[in-house]
Amino acid sequence: MAALNPTDIINAGEHVFIKMPSDNVKCIVLKAGSSVSLGKFGTFKANDIIGHAWGNSYEIYDRDSKTRVYHPEGISEVEETANNNREIVDDPTSQKLTLDDIKALKSEGLKGELTGEEIVNKLKESHATFDKKTAYSQAKYLQKKGKKFHKVFTPIKPTAYSVNEYFYVKNPSKIRDIRMDTLSQLLSYSNVHSGCKLLVVDDTQGMIVSALAERMGGKGTILGLYDGDNPHYDIVKYMNFNQETLDTIKVLSWLRIHRPADEKTPDEMQDVTQLTGKDLEGYHRRLKAYNIVEESRKILFEGNFDALIVASQYQPESILEKLLPYVAGSRPVIVYHGTKEALLETSTWMRRCPDLLAPQLTESWLRKSQVLPGRTHPEMSTWGTGGSLLTATKVIDQPVQAALTKRERLAMEKKNAEAKKLKRAREEAESATSSPAPVAAAAAVGDIADEAVEGVEEGTTTATTTDGGHESRSIKRAKQE
Amino acid sequence: MSLATKHTFATYKKNNTIENGDLVVLFLSKENLILIRIQEDQEFCCKFGNYKHADMIGLQYGTKLGSNTGRGFLFLLYPTPELWTLILPHRTQILYIADISLIMSYLDLKPGKVMIESGTGSGSFSHSIARTIAPTGHLYTFEYHQERVAVATKEFEDHGLEGLVTIECRDVCKNGFGLVNKADAVFLDLPAPWEAVASAKQAFRQDKVGKICTFSPCIEQISKTVTALTEQGFVDIQMYECLIRFNEVRILQISTLDEALEMERASEKKRKRAMPRVLRESFKNRLQQEQEQDSGNNTDQDQEDTEGESTVKKTRVNDGDLSQQGSSTPSTVGTPNSRSHADVFIPDDSVEPREYIEPRNATVTRLPVEQRGHTSYLLFATFTPATQQPSLAELNKAAAASSSK
Repeated sequence: MAALNPTDIINAGEHVFIKMPSDNVKCIVLKAGSSVSLGKFGTFKANDIIGHAWGNSYEIYDRDSKTRVYHPEGISEVEETANNNREIVDDPTSQKLTLDDIKALKSEGLKGELTGEEIVNKLKESHATFDKKTAYSQAKYLQKKGKKFHKVFTPIKPTAYSVNEYFYVKNPSKIRDIRMDTLSQLLSYSNVHSGCKLLVVDDTQGMIVSALAERMGGKGTILGLYDGDNPHYDIVKYMNFNQETLDTIKVLSWLRIHRPADEKTPDEMQDVTQLTGKDLEGYHRRLKAYNIVEESRKILFEGNFDALIVASQYQPESILEKLLPYVAGSRPVIVYHGTKEALLETSTWMRRCPDLLAPQLTESWLRKSQVLPGRTHPEMSTWGTGGSLLTATKVIDQPVQAALTKRERLAMEKKNAEAKKLKRAREEAESATSSPAPVAAAAAVGDIADEAVEGVEEGTTTATTTDGGHESRSIKRAKQE
Repeated sequence: MSLATKHTFATYKKNNTIENGDLVVLFLSKENLILIRIQEDQEFCCKFGNYKHADMIGLQYGTKLGSNTGRGFLFLLYPTPELWTLILPHRTQILYIADISLIMSYLDLKPGKVMIESGTGSGSFSHSIARTIAPTGHLYTFEYHQERVAVATKEFEDHGLEGLVTIECRDVCKNGFGLVNKADAVFLDLPAPWEAVASAKQAFRQDKVGKICTFSPCIEQISKTVTALTEQGFVDIQMYECLIRFNEVRILQISTLDEALEMERASEKKRKRAMPRVLRESFKNRLQQEQEQDSGNNTDQDQEDTEGESTVKKTRVNDGDLSQQGSSTPSTVGTPNSRSHADVFIPDDSVEPREYIEPRNATVTRLPVEQRGHTSYLLFATFTPATQQPSLAELNKAAAASSSK
């Protein structure tokens, strides 16, 4: 068995998403020795989960915020009962416990004197009409109360999927509404893999860059172009990338693509041999920054990128026309936008662009369902927009040989027609030897087979329509005969 | 086959140049893609002419190539798993990009992951998985149909994936996967996935979190699988459906009613069937009278009203000016709050109606009349490490000890 990777366990100092009983997710930086408060669900000690494998749920079970691995009970089938809601009236007094009683229970729970399940049971017992509820309603009641009083939490490992889910729920506009299904389709279309070289314009706060970097696993290069003072790749920090992966992400400001004529290298500005102390430090700082920009420029100008991915607030075609020359042939070009309408003009622009092949505008539809034995159905509320993708393939346009002149073409067609005629005559002669009645049918079949064979040979570009044409023609011919 | 063509589907060629023995996808149209292997002495023929393989050698992938007759051209594309999904010969129902993408993301696939797939089917998903987990990961794929195994094995070899994929002919529902403590992710596309759940559990790496996905078209299958997953202790069971809508972008030409009427007037005039002058004059007079009455009655009418009227008038003046210049600039349409008045129906005599007015272009999208409504339900669940693990250091020490034995 291979040894565990550092990424397979929860490490101190990393970002962790904590899923709470309410299904809300909290994002924390796990500091060794600290206590993490989950509000009404209690507090746990970071050290209790640091060093353990991801994937388990934990229960806070006593007053010292002790935790233990929580094993959920299996979800059981709801047994159908004769109950129905005929007897149920909307009556706040059904719950015999008062608000103060419940508050007291809650504080006991927080102190660790009562477990979440015990509280839920107490609520259930003091509910006057609980037994009259339908089995489905009872299950729903327990589930609802459980979300309030259980003290189980699950640390979730940040991955492109979980990070996207977290931000899509919490603040979709931050990541420009890109939803996990659209993002995953973008990854597929981009054909991102270990070792490739990508050109990216990412205004989704680095959501796309993060997902791409994850799929490259520390091999290859991502060059991100940005405007403004800094690239805003905030999402990257949530991904717990190792240095190797972080090093694959390079950035370059649009304004620095071309070195201004008056820009001087640090060596031109100062003579390094004359510098001491703070001046020398400054020189090295400048040199480092200069080298980073130079390196990014070099990467850009070398071109041959394996994909161009644009998710910008600016007009996409204005970006594409600048960056397309740097993309290698037969590579995907992808534009993401939160609204489909913003991509319509780009789509027509792409269709006119000789360097792009087969633009395709897609939207994704995603629906989640509740899956409980005997209670499976789509969830009552679903996601609206998830963004739109416009994909095409970069091609190398080159002038193709001019078509034949009309005379040449007619001559060639005549020659072909004669050859066909000869062939058919030969076959008819062959089929005439069989009984006369099925002659027409046989001829028709022969024709179809004949045409079909030619169709295969030809590998036609309009397979469906021509096939249809062939068939009807041969039937007509059969009728004439 | 030279080494240069190895792993063709899993990674790009460094020089991106077509060489003898390489795979090339011929793009004839969106619906017509063909995968060929370059052999110097061969040619590809279609109704638009012939394309010599020798002519393709030395070109960059992505190049447009004309046929010998000059009547057609095609594009030489680099083979990718996504293109393969569109080309491959269907031996079974295959997975398409919507499902493939979501599953790969949910299962957290990336370089180095070990994955189990069953059944292999036509190998559509296998190609995408292999590309994503390359170069250090591995895919174990199982298929109980002997012939499909044979074809898929050949395809994986031809496509340079043999080092990344292990295929086995095996009925995993009856005999299990035969793998223990190996996988990071499991994908089940089987008629009865619930029969393979217990074996899948053993196949997972026992010391870390793992993800499973089952793919079933029917809700009854999902129901049985959910029961099996819960019994085996899988958690966080979620179900999704995902579809892609392919929009057709079109340019729609739209004229305003005024433009249409103007053109109609022009053609009427041509046919000398225009409204007799007497009638037109009387219509105009009557309107004028009404207008005077209106303004007499409603002097305190809110300003918007009069403003609206003036815009209408101005509009018409503008329109006239433009048409006199022979410009086809579309006439302005009154703002919604400018109250319509019978005034607008009076044709302007002073201006010759235009016979043709260029309509405006509106870019719109259209969905195909028929589109995919359902593929399958995607059921996801999480495998949790069986117990709390000792520290990483201890584990690594144990692993080192066991390997030294």
